[in-house]
Amino acid sequence: MAFSVFLNSRRARAKDLVKILKEEFDFVSVLGVDTKSKSIRVDSNTSSLSNGDDTECGFVVKLNNGGCFFEYSLDDIGEDVRQTAAQIKDAFVVSSTLRQEPIQGIHLEDTPLVQSFLRPSDLSQYTDGQVLSFCQNTQKDLQGRSEHIRNAFVRISTLEVSKLFISPNRELDQNYIWINGMAALIYQENEKTVEVFALTDSDQMAEVMAKLPGKLDALVEKAHHLTLAKPIEPGVYDVITAPSITGLIAHEAFGHGVEMDQFVKDRALAKQYVGKYVASPICNMRDGAASTLSVASYFFDDDGVLAGDTQIIKDGILVTGISDLASAAQLGTTPTGNGRRQSSRRKAYSRMTNTFFERGTDKLEDMIASIQHGYMLFETNNGMEDPKNWAIQCVAQYGIEIVDGKLTDNYVAPVVMSGYVPDLLKSISMISDDFEISGSGFCGKGYKEWVRVSDGGPALKVRVKLG
Amino acid sequence: MKELSLLLRENPGVTDYKINIHQKKSYEMFFVKGKLETVRCTDTCDTNVTVYAAHGEYLGNAEFPVYPSTTEAQVKELIGEAVQKALLICNKPYSLPAEEAGEYYVQSNFSEFCPDALAAVVANTVFDANRITNGSLNAVEVFVNRHHETVTNSRGLQKSQTRYDAMVEAIPTYNGREQSVELYEQYNFSNLDEEALYQEIADMMAAVKARYEAVKPQQPLDCKVIFNKQEIETLVAPIASALNYASVYSHTTIFRKGDAIQKEPTGDRIQLTMAGALKGSVRSSQFDSDGMSLGQMQIVKDGIAVNYYGSNRFGQYLGEAPTGSLPCIHLALGTLPEAEMKTGSYLEVVSMSGLQVDFFSDYIGGEIRLAYYCDGKTCIPVTGISISGSLSKALQTIRFSTQEAIYNAYVGPGKALLDNLKIF
Repeated sequence: MAFSVFLNSRRARAKDLVKILKEEFDFVSVLGVDTKSKSIRVDSNTSSLSNGDDTECGFVVKLNNGGCFFEYSLDDIGEDVRQTAAQIKDAFVVSSTLRQEPIQGIHLEDTPLVQSFLRPSDLSQYTDGQVLSFCQNTQKDLQGRSEHIRNAFVRISTLEVSKLFISPNRELDQNYIWINGMAALIYQENEKTVEVFALTDSDQMAEVMAKLPGKLDALVEKAHHLTLAKPIEPGVYDVITAPSITGLIAHEAFGHGVEMDQFVKDRALAKQYVGKYVASPICNMRDGAASTLSVASYFFDDDGVLAGDTQIIKDGILVTGISDLASAAQLGTTPTGNGRRQSSRRKAYSRMTNTFFERGTDKLEDMIASIQHGYMLFETNNGMEDPKNWAIQCVAQYGIEIVDGKLTDNYVAPVVMSGYVPDLLKSISMISDDFEISGSGFCGKGYKEWVRVSDGGPALKVRVKLG
Repeated sequence: MKELSLLLRENPGVTDYKINIHQKKSYEMFFVKGKLETVRCTDTCDTNVTVYAAHGEYLGNAEFPVYPSTTEAQVKELIGEAVQKALLICNKPYSLPAEEAGEYYVQSNFSEFCPDALAAVVANTVFDANRITNGSLNAVEVFVNRHHETVTNSRGLQKSQTRYDAMVEAIPTYNGREQSVELYEQYNFSNLDEEALYQEIADMMAAVKARYEAVKPQQPLDCKVIFNKQEIETLVAPIASALNYASVYSHTTIFRKGDAIQKEPTGDRIQLTMAGALKGSVRSSQFDSDGMSLGQMQIVKDGIAVNYYGSNRFGQYLGEAPTGSLPCIHLALGTLPEAEMKTGSYLEVVSMSGLQVDFFSDYIGGEIRLAYYCDGKTCIPVTGISISGSLSKALQTIRFSTQEAIYNAYVGPGKALLDNLKIF
């Protein structure tokens, strides 16, 4: 794999565009994006080979003259660059009837840097036919494992991203790949139908192809148990979170609350808690495109800021948040490399990347053994943030009852975990010494602006309301 | 460059083709604490080509995007690659919709405005609606979009439509002495009604003040629960999804025609109809991505699944008449006036973190950010509670209001009354 030929062909025009617009604007940048995504999917009745939703090709121009930001998204920079520049400037109109004033006092740094980044992957060694064949064989294998399987699905999704960032002093380009594998079942037994899935992801196709088949036994076993699952009796319990649920807590409970565009808007309670205890003293949390290797690992963000590794919580104390260029400029802080866009057609916001709790020192078996009656929760379903008021809702696919320090065969599903964020984080009493991160997630800001994220960590022992 | 359709016809491996073009122009404004932070404009065109290749008893398809920068030579290469990919796919054959043409316009008054002027009217109206002392709108985003969509295929189908939509995301905030609280509001519309927009935001400003005053109930509550249009949409959307041809064909649904969605109902019986266009719905469309003309199909009658609906391909697979992918959901009004719902003790939900509805697990529940609890005499705002229960039991006794409301794809009763939910 290599950097986009198309973006390379527009590099000179992008530089010219920046130069022309710089005549009238203090800050100018152009981000070019060429993303190729693919989804290869097989079930018992159909197969498909389609473009993934991330597929796009285009540019976004960002301008600033000390006040309001202006952005313009377009498909291409034409041969007549002056005409493109004129088209962009003409579009920057604000109706005289608008009664709100623009922000003021924006100053943006444009530190010189010229660099190319490439993360190698084995994706180019696999043809569509080979990947389809893998999906067909895995699907057939899975479908044949139980007479209770109504349909089995296998999907491999690939993402190849090329981005070019040009400003008067910066010229950056990057190319990276991520691959997601999924196996899923519709399973009917005990007069109940359940839907279960197994996920794996990597920057190497060989790894995805090696790991996914190894998850099929557990998938069928899980489906069987879930047909016997009962609703949970609502109440407050001692809980062990599997890494996926730990990640969901990191993401929903605290991650959204430290996105610093929310600080600018006075939308985040966390702003008042920097330097204070927000979690148990054994708790450490990080976010960053450079913090680990997963789906949200890139070399520079959509503002042209190099990837960061931000310690958000250290020994239970909130250290700092994560920011994009615009919010950092308004707060007078240094951007952390978290400016992300859903696509070149959308605005950049402060967004999470790879978000996780750091590993602790406890053994998982000791954590389970410490609970007289409670649950271990598995697999993220969804969650919802409330950064201003620190309410939390995280939905786990299922839980397994713990009685007298042992996991039982009693499954409950689904399980909604809710409460007040500091109560939850301060209740963390044990953290396991293992670590797992999953790069299969999407994150919205409110109900839009979807970007790929990873989250995870070790197992946590917490006390929380389940329903 | 030659026309795409000519290039596709030149390749003998192409049995059929479809071209989808989506041109979009948007004007967007982003406000931070009442000040204009960002203005964005987009002017983009997405072209997606689907190539169908018949081979043996199968039909395969593959797709590729064409960008304004794509050259004729590149398009020819992409067509050749798509044919090879389509030959790998062994699906049951089906025919494309044919010989239909039309140019449509989805009714909207947006065309009377310049985008920046329309966005300004929307923003001014939103900020004017904050009449609460200590109230603020800490973040407001306004999106105004014009879409022009075209579908053409190798079977003589050529349709296009122009439609508009707008979205306001607002964060109503109440800044009290002890704390500051907020709610989340996303309001979608395709016709500018300043009065309706003002009222929507004003209602949320009143609600956020109530959230500030809200308390966690000291005693467990045991009463009926009233849902708003948002929660009703969340409740009926999975039923609509389950009765889609694609869900039925792939066995991902738990409902089949003739199945009771409501078992032994004692409340209002669900009457659910899918539609291409409903007045006031931002999802209204004249045709789907295959170019299928969109009408209506009742899928649930008296609480029983009576029909499926869905795309051309999966309709043919099931031996049913394709209805097209109908985007709008219409739920028939109920029999209980809102005033009668609000008698005795009840909990009226205003804002949830997200209602969870799971037919597989027979579960309904979620965390409530704001609700009004009325004990039959007085009403107080409450927070910090959750609800959960058996979905089938809740549907057994559900009652719907007699007043209509619109929320995204949903048009139907504005309120629903549910029993059998545990509040904790």
